[in-house]
Parts: sequence; structure tokens; C-alpha cells
Amino acid sequence: MIDNDKIIQTLEKKLMSFNNDAKTQNVGTVVKNTDGVIVASGLSKAIMGEIVLFKDGNSGTILNLDEDSVSIILLGVGSDIKEGDTLKTSGQMLGIEVSDELLGRVINVLGDPLDGKPKLKNGKNMPLEKIAAGVVDREPVNTPLKTGIKAIDSMIPIGRGQRELIIGDRQTGKTAIAIDTIINQKNNKKPVICIYVAIGQKQSTVAQVIDRLTKEGALSYSVVVLASASDQASLQYLAPYAGIAIAEYFLEKGKDVLVVFDDLTKHAWAYRQISLVLRRPAGREAYPGDIFYLHSRLLERSVKLNKQNGGGSITALPIIETQANDISAYIPTNVISITDGQIYLQADLFNSGIRPAINVGQSVSRVGGAAQTPAIKSVSGKLRLELAQYNSLAAFAQFGSELDSATQKQLDRGKRLTEILKQPQFAPLSESLEVLSIYAVTSGLMDDVAIESFLRFEKDMHEFAKKRYPNVLEKLSNEEKPTEDTLKQIKKLLEEFKKRFD
Amino acid sequence: MKRKIIDKLVAQSYKQNDLDEKKVNKIAALLSKSDLKRYINGLKLQDMKKSLIVSTPINNQDLKKFQKLFPNKKIAFTKDPSLMLGIRIVDNDMVYEFTLKNTLHKIISYMQENYD
Repeated sequence: MIDNDKIIQTLEKKLMSFNNDAKTQNVGTVVKNTDGVIVASGLSKAIMGEIVLFKDGNSGTILNLDEDSVSIILLGVGSDIKEGDTLKTSGQMLGIEVSDELLGRVINVLGDPLDGKPKLKNGKNMPLEKIAAGVVDREPVNTPLKTGIKAIDSMIPIGRGQRELIIGDRQTGKTAIAIDTIINQKNNKKPVICIYVAIGQKQSTVAQVIDRLTKEGALSYSVVVLASASDQASLQYLAPYAGIAIAEYFLEKGKDVLVVFDDLTKHAWAYRQISLVLRRPAGREAYPGDIFYLHSRLLERSVKLNKQNGGGSITALPIIETQANDISAYIPTNVISITDGQIYLQADLFNSGIRPAINVGQSVSRVGGAAQTPAIKSVSGKLRLELAQYNSLAAFAQFGSELDSATQKQLDRGKRLTEILKQPQFAPLSESLEVLSIYAVTSGLMDDVAIESFLRFEKDMHEFAKKRYPNVLEKLSNEEKPTEDTLKQIKKLLEEFKKRFD
Repeated sequence: MKRKIIDKLVAQSYKQNDLDEKKVNKIAALLSKSDLKRYINGLKLQDMKKSLIVSTPINNQDLKKFQKLFPNKKIAFTKDPSLMLGIRIVDNDMVYEFTLKNTLHKIISYMQENYD
């Protein structure tokens, strides 16, 4: 009964307010429909990015405003739209409904579910296009985002709020790094919400990713936004903006968010396609002039907010696919210059069994060092330098037959370091185990272990440490620099384990 | 031909509020096929700007009232019984709707938004 009264009261209120309320609409007529881009006349009051509604229920968003026409990209199939059809402005900008219920879901760019579950209701509408937070609202990156990958956490550390590019040829393990990072977040004390944005990928590939996240129990704190290869270019173009809009919802709540854009090369292709159909002037590699702004305005939205603004963060892991290791192509150089560092994966390293196939010399993290914990910093200080020296020496040593003992020693240490940084997929490590492994090699405690049995040795050593020395691992996981006493205990642990290892 | 010239030709094709047939034919004869297409489109747009369509559910309407409200517009009346009381005015690309149908639609959408 209360509900009925409420409804009637609301209706009455509405009717009262309708007395002088004329409905005003700005309408237009379709002039041209070319490959999902509509040119329409009229719509004189339309604004950039506004949603327009077609008579057949389709919708689109405005991308070009000309003197007497507007260009619209369709958000649906729209093959039935023909010349002379009418359309109207909606007065709304493009946005996506977001709420906490979105966690664990697979959605498309418009927020429609793709996992067979019901559509989200009563969410907050987050705009797809938004100006990034200003300098006053931000603070420097100071908290680590642990990937669980030894090579990254020790040499190319990523901080919360950082933009770290993952770049490399096809089949070099770019997505694997991103997925491992997402999986590793379940071990965090302060949880990180993960958003995986798949752009222009095969649906089967994305299905595998979703399956893996589900198996690892990582989907419960993740959202997958999908604009597959079979979706329109317009949806592929909007996908990363939908991803970051979802991230901003959680950011407003003071949470830490990780967004993976897989990948921005295909995003640039989609935008190039749209721009060419829109007849915008083509520049280098036929990309439009604003291709840099396309990615810079997206990645600038990743942020570490200060405490007054909630203290949340958005970390971005954009992925770029190169052709034949060419990082000097247009899109790779653009995104390299936008981001705060890059993880460069090389096909020949991958094929020679070094996985993750990170090229240490060309990979860098410009701000992550400040976020590295003292524990990992203390053991990985010389790691990068030693590996770089090893790589240059290894190339040189191929030509000479006689090497002095110091060089031989350096080469041997380099080989061991390379071996210990190898890591299987979907097996991210906790920081304590990372520190234990790296310290074991850098301190020379594993110098008498055969390189071939490193992987087995490391795995068994971790098990042994978990069983017999949990207190050491606990000390290492408190993020503080290991004390002399802890280091002694590690030494004891390793010597005891070596006796058991055959 | 440049767009500005086409726009000028469109503007010159009018005598007061009506098209000057002689001028239009003269201009059309001089234009190439693509320019002629743009010229025709320009005329269509101009014509839309100069006209006003008033839709009501009944036939009798007071023309003078609308002429006062919209001077320099060619006013055309159409009958649309689906409107259910009220009026709809189409002025170029703007549509003003003041009808019961619109009000009912608003109530329905309000209820859909606020109640499951």
C-alpha cells in the first residue's frame, strides 16, 4: 500500500511539474552511411561526444562537427540505417554504468554483459571521456605494485599510479606478464582491483584469459572489458576509455586499480580506420594527426591521488605489439614517450628459453624505483648492472677463446642470474620468495649448483623454506631491509637445503 | 567550386522568402554535376531553415498567432491525431513538443528508471 501511495504521489508531482514543460528535441537527417560512420545534416545543437539516437533504436556518438553536418560513429551494427532516416540528440555524453557488482564480470564497451549474467542496474554513470586529475590532486608514486615476476620486481619495479608499457613482437609473452600481474594481486595486503581491456583480439584468446583468471581465483576482483576483432571499429576505439572509466569509479572510492590495455596497437588501428572513413587528413603510416593525443589523454588518466583526494591510484599496463622488433615505429615511439617506462620483450630471448623474455638493457622503469621496498632493493641493487655487463661480455666472449678468470667469473655469475630470473607462466611469487631466490644467487650461495638444475633447485628450495623456515619468509615479507641475522638464517637455510638436494 | 561560393549562390537564389525560378535555372545550367548536387543540398537546407511545420490533432489553426511568433517563416499545418492534445512545432532541426503523448511518455520513462 505504501508503494502504491508513493507511485501516485510521484506521478502527481510529475504532472504538476509538466505544466509548462515542453519537450525540445534537436533532430537531423542521415545523409550518408559509410562503414559504420554516419554523416547527418541538422543537429545544429549537437556537441562533440554526445550520444545520438536513431529511429530504429540504434545509437551513435558524435566525432566530427562540420558547418552543416555532423559525423557519427555507430555503437551498434546499423546496417539498416539509410539516407533520409531521422535521428535526434540525447543530451547525454558517452558513459558506462559502474558499480561494485561489476567485479567478476565480462562486459562490452557499453556495459552490456557478455557472460550471460543479468545487466547491471542502478550503477553510477562514469563518463568515457574525462580530463585527467591535475597536479595538485596527485602525489608521487610511492607504493609498489608487485607483479610477482622476479625480473620485473627486482629490475623494472612498477609503482601504483605508474604507466608501464609492455612492448614486444607477437608471441613473446606480453599478455602473460599482464595476466601474471593480475593473478599476483590476490596475495596483496591492500587489494588491487584489476581491469583487463581486450581490444581487437580473437574471442577465443580472450576466453582463454577469462578461463585462466577464473581458475586462479582472480576474476572475483577483476573486470574484463571486451571489444573483440569482430566488433565494430568504433567499439574497439572506445574500449580503453570504458576500461579507465570503470577504474575511475573505484579510484573515487580510494581504491587501487590496475588497468591492462591489450593492446593499444589494435586500438590505434581502429582509430585510423575511423579517421580514414571520416576523411580526416592522413599523416605518417596513414594515422591521423591526433593519434598521439588519443593515447596520451588515455594514459594521463592513470594517477596516484594524494590523501586529501582519497589516496587511490590507477596503474596502467598498456601493451604494444611491434613488427620485427621495431620499437622505432610510429605508435611504439609515441607510447614509449607517454609512459613512465617500458618492459621490452624480445623474440630471440623467448626462443632461447629465457622467459619472461625481458631485454634488460632496453627495459626501464622511470618512477618505480621510488616505490620499491627496501627488502627487494637491498638484494637487487647490482642485479641490473651485472646483467647488462654479462650481456655485453657474452657477446664479446663468443669471439675469444681465452678469457681471464675475472671475466670468466663474471660470465658465470651472469649465466646464473639469467637462470634465476626465469620463471614459468601463471606462477607469480611472493616478495619473500623473490628476495630469497635473488639473494641466493647474488650472494654466491648458489655458485656450486649446476645451472641446468636451477629451476628445480629453486622450486624445491621455496617448498623447503615454507616448511622449515617460515619465520625467515615472514621476516622477508615485512618489506624491511633484511637484517644481518636474517641473512645469516638464509645462509643456513640454503646450506641445509643444498645437503638434501641431489 | 568552393563551398562559400555555393552558399552565396544559394543565398542569391531567393527573392524575399521564395525561390526565384529564373535565377535557379540559370545557376543550375552553369554548374557541374557535383556542384549542382551541393547546390541542391544547399537549397534544401535553406528551405528547411525558412519553413515551420506545425502538427496538431485537429485541422483548424490560427495562422496569425504563429506568424507573430515566427516571423519570416513559411508556416505549414499538418494533422497528426497520434499527438493526443497539444502541438508539435518543427523549426528546421528543432522540434518543440507540447503534447499529452509526450507527458505520458515522460511518466512511463520516469517509472521505468525508478521502479523495477
